[in-house]
Amino acid sequence: MSKSDPKTFLIPNELCRRSGLGASWLPINQIAVFPHQQRSIREKDVPSNFASNNPSSIFSVRHNIILFHPILRKLVNESNATFIAVQSCVASKPSDLKGDVLKLSRQYRSIIRACLENLQDEISKSKVNNEERDELQNYITIFYSIECIWHLCEILFIDVIPGNIVLPYLLDWVRFHFPRHERNAALLLSGDISALELNENYWPTVFGNLLQGRIKVVRTLLKQNSAADTPIFQSVDQLLKAMPTYNIINSISVNEFNLQWRHWTMDIQLKIDAKQFINNHNLDLLMRLIVGEEEAWAEIQSNCEAWYEFLAGWLFYTEPAVKTFELGQFAKHSISKMRLKDHLKHLDRVLLAAMEFDLLEVIKEIQLMTENGWFVTHLTDILHHSGRLSTLENEVENFACDKLRESFILEYGTTLIGHSSLWEVGLSYLDFCPNNGVHAIELLLPRIPFNTEVKANKLIREAKNRELNHVAQSICKIQGMKCLKRGRLDKFLKGYIESGELNSTDLLDNLGSCMLASDRLIFLGKYNEFHKLYQAGEYKECGHLLISLLASKIVPKYFWSILLSEAIPLLESEELVFSSNDTYTILHCLEEKEEIPQMTDKMSILRLAAARNLSRALMYEAQMA
Amino acid sequence: MFEAQEIKAEHKDLIHDVSFDFYGDRMATCSSDQFVKVWDKNGDGNWTLTSSFKAHSASVWKVTWANPEFGQVLATCSFDRTAAVWEEIVGDTPGPGQRGTRHWVRRTNLVDSRTSVTDVKFGPKAQGLLLATCSAEGIIRIYEAPDVMNLSQWTLQHEIHCKLPLSCLSWNPSLSRLHPPMIAVGSDDTNVNNGGKVFVYEYSENSRRWVKLDTISSITDAVHDLEFSPNLGRSFHILAVATNRDLRILNLTPLDDEQASQNGVTKLDIQTAAQFNDHGGTVWRVCWNVTGTIVTSAGDDGFVRMFKMHSINLWKSITSIKGDGTQIPTATEATRSTSTAIPQASSVSTLAGQTARYIKLGSISQPSREQWY
Repeated sequence: MSKSDPKTFLIPNELCRRSGLGASWLPINQIAVFPHQQRSIREKDVPSNFASNNPSSIFSVRHNIILFHPILRKLVNESNATFIAVQSCVASKPSDLKGDVLKLSRQYRSIIRACLENLQDEISKSKVNNEERDELQNYITIFYSIECIWHLCEILFIDVIPGNIVLPYLLDWVRFHFPRHERNAALLLSGDISALELNENYWPTVFGNLLQGRIKVVRTLLKQNSAADTPIFQSVDQLLKAMPTYNIINSISVNEFNLQWRHWTMDIQLKIDAKQFINNHNLDLLMRLIVGEEEAWAEIQSNCEAWYEFLAGWLFYTEPAVKTFELGQFAKHSISKMRLKDHLKHLDRVLLAAMEFDLLEVIKEIQLMTENGWFVTHLTDILHHSGRLSTLENEVENFACDKLRESFILEYGTTLIGHSSLWEVGLSYLDFCPNNGVHAIELLLPRIPFNTEVKANKLIREAKNRELNHVAQSICKIQGMKCLKRGRLDKFLKGYIESGELNSTDLLDNLGSCMLASDRLIFLGKYNEFHKLYQAGEYKECGHLLISLLASKIVPKYFWSILLSEAIPLLESEELVFSSNDTYTILHCLEEKEEIPQMTDKMSILRLAAARNLSRALMYEAQMA
Repeated sequence: MFEAQEIKAEHKDLIHDVSFDFYGDRMATCSSDQFVKVWDKNGDGNWTLTSSFKAHSASVWKVTWANPEFGQVLATCSFDRTAAVWEEIVGDTPGPGQRGTRHWVRRTNLVDSRTSVTDVKFGPKAQGLLLATCSAEGIIRIYEAPDVMNLSQWTLQHEIHCKLPLSCLSWNPSLSRLHPPMIAVGSDDTNVNNGGKVFVYEYSENSRRWVKLDTISSITDAVHDLEFSPNLGRSFHILAVATNRDLRILNLTPLDDEQASQNGVTKLDIQTAAQFNDHGGTVWRVCWNVTGTIVTSAGDDGFVRMFKMHSINLWKSITSIKGDGTQIPTATEATRSTSTAIPQASSVSTLAGQTARYIKLGSISQPSREQWY
């Protein structure tokens, strides 16, 4: 069964089978399924065949999202930071974009490795039960595969390989993913080293290291053999020591290296033909491997865990100067040699596609991995920014790499927004979707539930940051409505005043007659009106309203200090606003509210302002009289 | 992989509609048993029944939530020829750590229809508090609550007569100011000779009335459900239609027509973007996800199927769900907290404490299909 087939999921319910199903989406990522059978509107309204006292069930169905597991939280957050770093790096157009992108790609991989380490730590803890252990093991398998694929993709598509000589990189990759041989060698050499060859791991370790190109380790192991002093061992050691190496530092040309290599293998071939090693099967095999003898490689292949381990070894001895674009054919060759053609697993298929430079196939396959799009989103993004995807646009009809990238990011971001504490991370992904990101946020942000004012304020801030003022206003309205319904208007009032930016005047403007429902609302409405008049410069009107508010009995206690402070600019305004009577009203309030703690620091300035206004008013009124 | 949480619905007959509030934290259900039930999701993810009331004197077809800006408000419609608006009242004295006692009050009963009211939907909030109903007699009614603080006053603003019995309606949810309010309705009239079964109306600001923009002539089969897709900033609208034969996905593009803009009436270009007969027969329900990327359909074959948009005219089937009684965990298995394998490789996983319990859903593979790319 291929993983890519569309699947049918089964709801374990007999009624659902018999009656049929109905479905409704629930925000953001779930679906409710229930037993349902449509009734024609022309039918008689009688109980259905399924009516019974045996109640039906509704099933709330969701994706199993492993990223929400607490142990993967770090991965989600850290990769988010790297993702944002990638975007800002690209935006700043550095001179060495390729180098920077490579660094960030490695950063992603180190995050995956850290995650794998966490998982290993967790799984070894004693408190873990069997079910949890299986689950953790499953995560390890997933993220191990991801690292393996990412590493190869990084070599092939992101890294800049001098001279296109890919083998040293490939060896690094294989060595990292098959550390068994190196570890075994270390174990062997650190123990009792007399008669090492009697250890059953001795020869497999020699060959394992040989295939990974660790010649020094091979020589060290051979030197510990009790027959190391015999001429045959000496001769092998000499030959291995003379192996030509290609690297950038010793600055020999590829042609020169190829020439040296040919001489070296010819020398060995002559010695094999002269049956120099015939007395020791293992050493003979070792030498025949080096010259690339098919039979020898067939003999050793069972020693390899995977075809790509075999491939790296084969290339090391037969095609050491292999170019990246030649990898595909050799990969297929290795697969058919190991007779794996019909037994390729998912990981194998992805790696093969990568070596064949079939990026679309790689992306298609990794979409099917069960880590909820984490991998495909981040890898596609970085491949896009490294310029690797744009070449595909010419090859594949109707393919737009930026759209592909965006569709993955949108989906991943939406998934995270569905989580009560990862929604902010989710938003930060949608921010980098130039086509539909802001629209998706417009639809999703208002649907994030909030039960506390803190969260409401957070949501409002996120909306304002993106200039989605109508979303911010809507959240305010809903918050206001909630408070209203719970009879906690004063709380709403307070929130309204304290966060000055919180703009729900829209609601207040539209309160209409219902304002009369509550003293608090009347006050709030009037206070809103006061501000509008003030902004419009209608100071006289403004003053009247303020005085009538002060004289009324509807001002909440905690609001007195704010309301009285509002009087100061009016008392001091150029144009005379308050009459002497008005001023007495203000002074009267001041006397009355003296004991309110917030008032103490404003008392003297208010008294002074009132006194000055009183003198102006009295003089003015005397002149008029 | 999918997992599911079972909620015992306690309805005594099949459920006609399940509707979630704006956040997905509250669920309302209605049934032929004439009851409406309201469920709340608690902090642990469990759904608990918080209200259950007899809403009508016949089958309740649909239940729907108003935007939370208007408070906790539901609308229902029924075979008893009425639609009703309900508001939740929270008691004054919430105890410590408790939300106040709640109950639902019928704020209004809309009795204008002389036949079964088949669908009811609140309008987009930008238009105020609007409610549309459609009925078997073929009339769309638009009601408005002029004072959102007083839900007992509703005025019938418009009556739109269609010639065919109506089964379903949908408001266009477009957030763009460029798009006037739009409604699509469907008819389950089975006579193919009666022509198109989907009608699209738009509110004309100039004439202050609802104007028919189009009859979708490509759909002559009976229509059982339809829904506009949430608009992800597109210039065109997407409508999913459940017909007697298949699921249709239509693109409705307002045209830049000089004459049309003079009349203040939009002209639409209507194209079929996709047509799926995967159900092999009648499709009963359609439903969009929040971002309009996936549409689900439910049909005669007992399957719920999901379709995903890959580009404007490219839709693909992705997953399906069906009921299978052979996999019912026995009572003892379901209550046990250890992971007991249930036949067909599905297992019950229980998390510690009171958190919601999800069952991993078993799956079967469908015959291989073409997939994207």
